Amino acid sequence: MSGVELLARRSRPRPTTASGVAVVTYVARRVAVTAGVLLIIATLTFIVFHLLPTDVSLASCGKPCTSDRREAVRHFYGYDRSPLLQLWEFLKGIVVGRTFGDGGAAVHCSAPCFGYSFRLGEPVLSLIVDRFGVTASIALGAFVLWTFAGVGAGVVAALRRGTWIDRTALAGTVVGVSTPTYLVALVAILVFGFQLNVLPVGTYVPLTQNPLLWAWHLVLPWAVLAFTSAAVYTRLARSQMLDAMSEDFVRTARAKGVRERRVVVRHGLRNALLPIVTIAGLDLGGLLGGAVITERIFSMQGLGALLIDAVGNLDLPVILGVTLFAAGLIVVANLVVDVLYAVLDPRIRSKGTS
Amino acid sequence: MSSAHHRPGTRLRRALPALVVTAVLALAGCNANPTSSSSASASSQPVRKGGTLTIYSQSSQIDFDPAKSQGLAITSLGLVHRRLTTWDIEPGQEPKVVPDLATDTGRPSDGGRTWTYTLKKGLTFSNGAPITSADIAYGVERSFAPELSGGLAYHKTLLVGGTDYRGPYTGQKLASVETPDDATIVFHLTVPYGDWPWIASMPAFAPVPKSADTDPSTYGKTPVTSGPYEVASNDQGTKAVLKRNPHWGDDDVRGGGPDEIDLLLGQDASVAAQQLISDQGAARSGFGANQVPAAQLAQIDGNPAAKSRLAVSNPGALEYLAMNTRRPALSKPAVRQAIEYAIDKQAFLLAQGGDLAGSVATTLITPGIPGRQQYDLYPASPSGDVAKATSMLAAAGGSKLSLKLVTANDDASTASAEAIAQSLQRVGITISIVPQDENTYADTITGDAGDYDLTVSSWQPDFPSANGNISPLFATSQIGGGNYNLSRYSNPKVDALIAQATGSVDQAAAQKLWAEADRTIMADAPVVPLIYAKNAFLRGSAVANFDVSGFPNYPNYLRVFVNS
Repeated sequence: MSGVELLARRSRPRPTTASGVAVVTYVARRVAVTAGVLLIIATLTFIVFHLLPTDVSLASCGKPCTSDRREAVRHFYGYDRSPLLQLWEFLKGIVVGRTFGDGGAAVHCSAPCFGYSFRLGEPVLSLIVDRFGVTASIALGAFVLWTFAGVGAGVVAALRRGTWIDRTALAGTVVGVSTPTYLVALVAILVFGFQLNVLPVGTYVPLTQNPLLWAWHLVLPWAVLAFTSAAVYTRLARSQMLDAMSEDFVRTARAKGVRERRVVVRHGLRNALLPIVTIAGLDLGGLLGGAVITERIFSMQGLGALLIDAVGNLDLPVILGVTLFAAGLIVVANLVVDVLYAVLDPRIRSKGTS
Repeated sequence: MSSAHHRPGTRLRRALPALVVTAVLALAGCNANPTSSSSASASSQPVRKGGTLTIYSQSSQIDFDPAKSQGLAITSLGLVHRRLTTWDIEPGQEPKVVPDLATDTGRPSDGGRTWTYTLKKGLTFSNGAPITSADIAYGVERSFAPELSGGLAYHKTLLVGGTDYRGPYTGQKLASVETPDDATIVFHLTVPYGDWPWIASMPAFAPVPKSADTDPSTYGKTPVTSGPYEVASNDQGTKAVLKRNPHWGDDDVRGGGPDEIDLLLGQDASVAAQQLISDQGAARSGFGANQVPAAQLAQIDGNPAAKSRLAVSNPGALEYLAMNTRRPALSKPAVRQAIEYAIDKQAFLLAQGGDLAGSVATTLITPGIPGRQQYDLYPASPSGDVAKATSMLAAAGGSKLSLKLVTANDDASTASAEAIAQSLQRVGITISIVPQDENTYADTITGDAGDYDLTVSSWQPDFPSANGNISPLFATSQIGGGNYNLSRYSNPKVDALIAQATGSVDQAAAQKLWAEADRTIMADAPVVPLIYAKNAFLRGSAVANFDVSGFPNYPNYLRVFVNS
């Protein structure tokens, strides 16, 4: 969009009731599509799991195992029923809850029940809620750090184009983009944790337990993730800024005598941010689903670690739950970004509903 | 396959970032050529009381439910749960089974089919309630429930009626476990079983008060305990905290040293080892529950301070090449015997990490197990005897063999498989290596189909009797169905020997029979013993009584203490 259009739009009247209805219809339709996508993901996860050439009851049969006992285990978990029936039970459980087994050992998982992990002795939902705090702590802090640092560096590089600042920022992004997270994490642990011994090397402290220690333990993972992720934002912000700053409306604004600071922030950055918002939304959605490598190396058991563990132990309910949750986050992030766009940009809204 | 206290799948979890971690942390290391160091600590010291012990564990959760556990008697579970009998593990001595809650290790009658125990007087749970024989019986019964499956299950087929029993939650009792009074418990077995005292040391023989078992699926988080500690908190993914059990007493085996034990969960093995090497903060009074990764071992070798804190076990668990005797190409004993000579055990050992990783093996019963006899039916240099193997193969009509070697797809397993393939190529055998993910692999080798010729596996007995070496790997009943007779070996004579040895209540007589079974099996050559693996663990400088030397080659948590 050109700046002239942007300026012109700002003087238009506020959206009418008709377009308010359009937004509601648009959002409703997207929510329906989202539910459909999640259903398809659940089905696929079930199918993939049942196509595995592995007997899931082996992992929990005990040692030594007899075929009788294995059958009993399969029956208890419900793995002896058809995958379709299991999927139906799963979906039903979300609405009305589920009860596993009977008699004194029966386990009730109240609605919304996304399955029950017998390995961990907890409903999958409470596991996810539990572990999500760890992942969200890592993800949100890193996200804030990298968007501010990344976008800031990009803007400065664009404004100082061709100078040593620009070249240093660009070189930094090449390093950040091309170095694998695990390498950066390990080097950071070695340098800051062991050589300098100034930062803790792992273990999560819950925010509710001690906010200071929480942040202190998270400094390294935040910095590591930010370092490897900021690069994309720096590059994007720089190119978007360069585009925006060479637009006619910037020249117009400067000619009108607007102060440079205002020109950069109101006219340049504002325009440059739109595509960055899209990427940031999706990145955050993905990261909230589990930062596997970072969690593992820093000994923080978030969603990523939970999923890897579940895969290793063939814990289907957890695999299914975490997969759905992570997929849901991405789909929701997509939805939020799209809806934000529709709200921000009337042209997209009208295309979406016509 | 899986060692005594690792379930299948452990390797996968370890495999992912641990390998990259080791590779990178090695940059900080020094010497790449470690030599063997024997640091078996001096004999057990008197336990000092006090302090906090920190244990770094790779597992992301710990379930203290005795029914679900495959844990060793001397690790975490042993700190909280006592059983009828338990293990006395002392440096430089053979492992012994000793009374724990009971007054002796069991009184056999009916030729070893019936075992009777009497409980010590005045024992109480952590909640103050007295421990009775009914609590032991209930603990055994609930281990049969399908909802609490996954634990060590040796007793399930031995107890009369155990095959069909499905636990106490359906209102049924197991008639073969009798409690005539509060202090007496009697077990009726389907066959005479001389090693029952060892079976009674397994987690399922820990007492569980029925009144506390209101939510069986979560009982193991903070169970009622009988050992020196109770579980103060247990947060999967973070840590479990053990605090003193004020009601614990009359225990000759457990030291109960530290006031508090923190089990840190989900710790990366390399980062944990690095913390222990640095020996600062909590790591000073901590140790690693997992073996030190290869890269850190190399680093420790160049660091005398850290090296003095490294405990390396004697050779233990057997790593072996299983030859599927049901496959046409390997059905002739003569072909398998030729392969015994063809394998380069030295190269295999090198692929595992050299002398620090183990020593060359020739027998099935592993070092440290009472009654073991050292022998070698196929004497050759550790690199094998290519000429002899080649001529034996030709004589047996086994030239130009083409075999399928199935392996797990992690780096360590693949390296083992390649070492074997190269050995066999020397005698003209073509090997196709089939890598599979850990779970698929477990299913392939223990399932009913048996679609493979060769596989490399490892075995550590679940209890220190030759029985634990021989029966699970070579009894006909252990073929397929999730069990570990990976060579699918079936010999009526061996089955008879196993039955006879198993049934013998006289331990000396049983040990003789096991040694005979060992040689009889090796004469048929269903497996090639490759190495007896060593384990290495690291402790902080304030940790004392840290011993891993003999069976089971894991730290004995029960007597570890912290110096001030």
